[in-house]
Parts: sequence; C-alpha cells; structure tokens
Amino acid sequence: MKRRTDFAPTIRIPSFRCRLLCAAAALLASCRAEYHPYDTRIDGPTGINARNIARIEEACAGRHTLRFAVIGDTQRWYDETKAAVEALNRRDDIDFVLHTGDLADFGLRAEFERQRDILDRLRIPYVVLLGNHDCLGTGREVFAKIFGKADFAFTAGNVRMVCLNTNALEFGHEVAVPDFGFLGRQIAEYPAEAGKTVVAMHTKPFTEQFDDNVARVFQHTIRQFPALQFCVNGHGHNFFVEELFDDGVLYYECDNIGKRSYLVFTVDDEGYAYERVAF
Amino acid sequence: MTKAMRMNGWRFRAVVGLAAVLVTLAPAAAREPAAAERHGADVACGLDRRRHRGREGWERAIPTHVKAHYAGGMGLLSVGCGWDYGRKCRWETDVLVGVLPGGWSDRTHATFTLRQHYIPWSIRCGDRLAIEPLSCGVYFSLITGADYWIREPDRYPGRSYYGFASRLRTYIYVGQRLVLYPKSDGALRHIALYYELSANDLDIVAKCGNRSLGLSDIVRFSVGVKFQLLR
Repeated sequence: MKRRTDFAPTIRIPSFRCRLLCAAAALLASCRAEYHPYDTRIDGPTGINARNIARIEEACAGRHTLRFAVIGDTQRWYDETKAAVEALNRRDDIDFVLHTGDLADFGLRAEFERQRDILDRLRIPYVVLLGNHDCLGTGREVFAKIFGKADFAFTAGNVRMVCLNTNALEFGHEVAVPDFGFLGRQIAEYPAEAGKTVVAMHTKPFTEQFDDNVARVFQHTIRQFPALQFCVNGHGHNFFVEELFDDGVLYYECDNIGKRSYLVFTVDDEGYAYERVAF
Repeated sequence: MTKAMRMNGWRFRAVVGLAAVLVTLAPAAAREPAAAERHGADVACGLDRRRHRGREGWERAIPTHVKAHYAGGMGLLSVGCGWDYGRKCRWETDVLVGVLPGGWSDRTHATFTLRQHYIPWSIRCGDRLAIEPLSCGVYFSLITGADYWIREPDRYPGRSYYGFASRLRTYIYVGQRLVLYPKSDGALRHIALYYELSANDLDIVAKCGNRSLGLSDIVRFSVGVKFQLLR
C-alpha cells in the first residue's frame, strides 16, 4: 500500500551552526572557572570520611561478623573506578568499602572531586586513606577538606579499623610519618566495644615511601593493638600477600583498580577470610 | 561557597553564554549590504578593520595592549601586556603575572604565564563594535612555591618517579571576543571583552584514557578584558 506523505508534519532539522551553538552554550553553562589546578576551592561535598564513619559505626554496632571491600590506586582510572562502584553496588553483603589511597595521579583538586563523585555513587559507605600521589601540590589540603585527616580510626562491629598515613617520602621531618603519637593514643584509648584490629595504610614497610628506619618499631607498635588480624595496603598496584616481619601478621596488597579487581575481607568470631574478586 | 553564590556564578555564565550566541550570530547581520553601506569610509578596508599604524624600528617593542584575566588556571586574577603582529594583527603574544590568594590555596602563590593567540577574523558590526568570533591558542603557566617542581626533587628514586612537572601547566583554549571602539581616537584604541574555554595538559591526558570523562569535566571557563593601545 502506498503511504501518503503529504500530511506528514514538517520537521525542521536545526542547522549545523545552530547545533554547534547549542552544544557550545551547553558546554559553557556546565563549565566552572578554575583559579588554578592546585587551588583548594572545593566544589561539592566535604568531610566524607567523618560522615561515612558515622554511618558505618551505626550500621555495624554490636555485630561480630563484618565484611568489607578494599580498593586502591584508582588514580586516572575513572572508567574502571566507575565499573568497580557498579560491581560493588550489585552486592548487598558488604558493610563498607576501604580505599587505600591514591585517588589523584597529579594531586590536582579536580582529580579528588571526580573520584569523590564516582565513589559517592556507592550505596554503602566508604572511607579513603591518603596515598603518596594525593600529597602532590596542594593535594594534602584538598584531601583534608574533602575526606578528612590522614590518620584516623573507627570501630565497625567489634573490629577496630586503624587507618594510617605511611607516605613518609612526601613529608619532611616536621611531620611524623607514621605518627607514633597517634598510634600510642589509639592503643591507650582502645574502645571497649572493639576486640579485633585491622591496620590499613597506603604504602607498607620496606617500600621507597615508607620510613624504613622505623619499620620494625612500627610493626612492634601495631602489634600492641588487641588481636591484630592483618594489614591491608595499596601502592604496589599488584595483589600480594606477604608476611613482612616473620611474626604471623600478613600484609594484603590490593591491585590497582585498572586491573579490575577488589578484595573482600570477612571478619567473624572464627577469624577472617579474604577473597579477590574480578569485575 | 553558598547556594546564592553558585546561582550568581550560573547566571554570570548564562549572560556570557548569551553574549557568545550574539557574537556568533552577529556576523551574519553585519554582512547585509545595508550595514556596510552605512559606513562607506570603512568599506574599502573590508569588515576587518584591524591594522597597525606606523610603528617602526624599536617602537615595535612597545606592547600594543594590556590585559586583565580572571581565572583560566593562572590564578584568581592575572594582568600583563602583549604584542599583536602579523597581517591584520591576527597573532598576539602576552606575558601575564597572576596571583592565587592564600584563601584559595595552601598559601599565596604567584603565577607567570606566556600566552600565544591566533585570532583569524574580526568582523565589524557598526562604527563602535566588532566581533572576533574565534580566538584560539596555547599558554604555559608557572606557579611559584617550594612544593612544585620542573625537575623532580632528588629524594625521589629513579629518573622519573612521578614523571610530570607540577610547576608548569600547558593549556589550549578557544574563545570569542567582543570589541568596543571609543568615540574619540585617543591612546585607547579599543576595549575587547573576551571569554575562553580552556583545558590543561594533565586533564587532556585523563580525558584521552577515560570514556566516562566528558568535555565539561576538563574544560574550564575564564573571562578577561584587553585594552588596545596605539597600534
């Protein structure tokens, strides 16, 4: 049957110039002014770690079984970080996500903001540690504003998570890295509801970033924590399990996110188990 | 930043966006014969009225214009001078000094910027207005401060631990200009108001490796004013 077309409405296709103009206007409206790539004018949410720690502590209070995911070194892997967030959002058995640091590659403010905006899509709370790349330029200041302190601890169920800045190479002698004062206070003021400890850091002992002069003192100190289960770290970009000090304490290094994997740790009354999950 | 300030910023960009639409559309109106006939004296030199006026020898070293620029990765505000040259003054080179106040950084920093522009067209729209529908170029901006480097500090192992110069950023940009001519032909030949959309080298590298990054994630907006002195 021949179709009549004479009544078809006339659709006026915008000219190339008009479309170009609309695209340019949309780009213009969505762009922001930047004083400098290393300025510290934060656009969007700040104080992420403190807010998420409150969520974790509330959700896990009183529990003796805890399951958390570990990701790290997401710098400049935005596509893969987004894929990781989508993969983690498909699960409903994880309590929180621990990021072992290096959100930024160059320490630019925009890098932190982009990574935060991707990680904010996680349905579960997350905390972020300071990586050595995060210290470049004004990275430390931007990290402090967006995420919080470089050394922090929180209690998830009966597990005390101690998160440390170990990037000594990025700090002069004026800053204690690792901060034994902080560790001493955490040991002295160990909360009654916690019975097990996990220590997380970006760079582990005997790497170029760690202050190896205090590596054994560091290990001796963290072993003062009640029931130290294991340590997790990033920086090396390759999954690795290692007993660094011949003392039974294992260091679990997670892949960079470019390798499209994350670790999942389950801590319960019987001990702990881990799994390396590809996505 | 308060919600009100953000709103103001959006409105400001909307106004500039509207100006960009006018700058792009106006040349079409300017090409109408009636508009050209009204200004018979200038028809001989066409719609592009840019030209140098008798600068010879050492006088060529005198800057032809001064500029003030807001944002653009060169600090809160940067000021400087420059030279235009070439046929129809299509090329410009500027040097600018900027300031990034401590309130928006870890401490107050200065920036030093070298900018190279190409402005292919200038289209007259009446006696006192011209439009430059495209300006484009490249610029290099240095920031002061002990935490930044061109060559990595010796404390880092290997020859290239981080592999980039944090002190120096390279930008490319495109923009548009609106040129206003004063009534009298004095020392100030014209004032150009302009905006630019720029992106730096590190963000371009990030964009190249990530499909999820959009242009609006890496492109930044900035505005400026140019005071053209005697050509």
